[in-house]
Amino acid sequence: MTAALTAGLDRIPDQLGYLVISEDGVLASAGELENDEVTAGVMMQMVRTASRFRLSGVAEPPFKRMSVILEDFVYTVTVSGQKVFVVKRQNNQQEPISV
Amino acid sequence: MGCCYSSENETQEQRNERKPLIPHPDPVSKPPNGTDWITTSVPSAKTDEQALLTSILTKTAQNIIDVSAADSVMMEQHEYMDKARQYSTKLAVLSNSLPQRKALALPSLTSQPHQVLASDLVPYSDVQQISKIAAYAYSAISQIKVDAKEELVVQFAIP
Repeated sequence: MTAALTAGLDRIPDQLGYLVISEDGVLASAGELENDEVTAGVMMQMVRTASRFRLSGVAEPPFKRMSVILEDFVYTVTVSGQKVFVVKRQNNQQEPISV
Repeated sequence: MGCCYSSENETQEQRNERKPLIPHPDPVSKPPNGTDWITTSVPSAKTDEQALLTSILTKTAQNIIDVSAADSVMMEQHEYMDKARQYSTKLAVLSNSLPQRKALALPSLTSQPHQVLASDLVPYSDVQQISKIAAYAYSAISQIKVDAKEELVVQFAIP
């Protein structure tokens, strides 16, 4: 079961770690995100908040993936089959983002 | 069949709930400050000018809330408390009948999570553009302010 969920996640380019989360908690984790309950909680909240945004007249959330972009790495997050998938990937883009 | 705000079956309690704190003056039965409307003394053969003036007067009366007349219906302290209690009871009853709205079920964003997560990262230029737009929007929102151009309460010069 867990193997089916995570198969392929470790082959994602520049991945540093991943999390698979359900409503009840972390189902699988690896790399820098191994057993990282705190990040799991934050990502869960962020994706819940983001998925509440709707474009008018559209029932589904208008995105497939949420990216949390930091200087050195990016968290890419998606939801499928009531499970939240988080992959931490290296950010190889040279210029820093100034906000 | 009645509409949502149908008052056919309204109880006294319900009517009391919606009673405004400052009553809207009825232009016919209760003219502000007790001034008599000209309408009552206008002869039956109205001229066009008088009709126009009357309509202006009526329109004005409909658009104002007579603050000075509201003094007479000031609520006592205990009335406020009663109203507050009445509203919170009502709210408690209503919220009990609402379905439990805890964490909403997660939406499904994709059926191929691995593919979505493995695809290229958002280009730097896109992120920069979005950051810029967000900064503009933030700046615009922070500059929204109320520009008071006229007095909220005005004195009508009644001779």
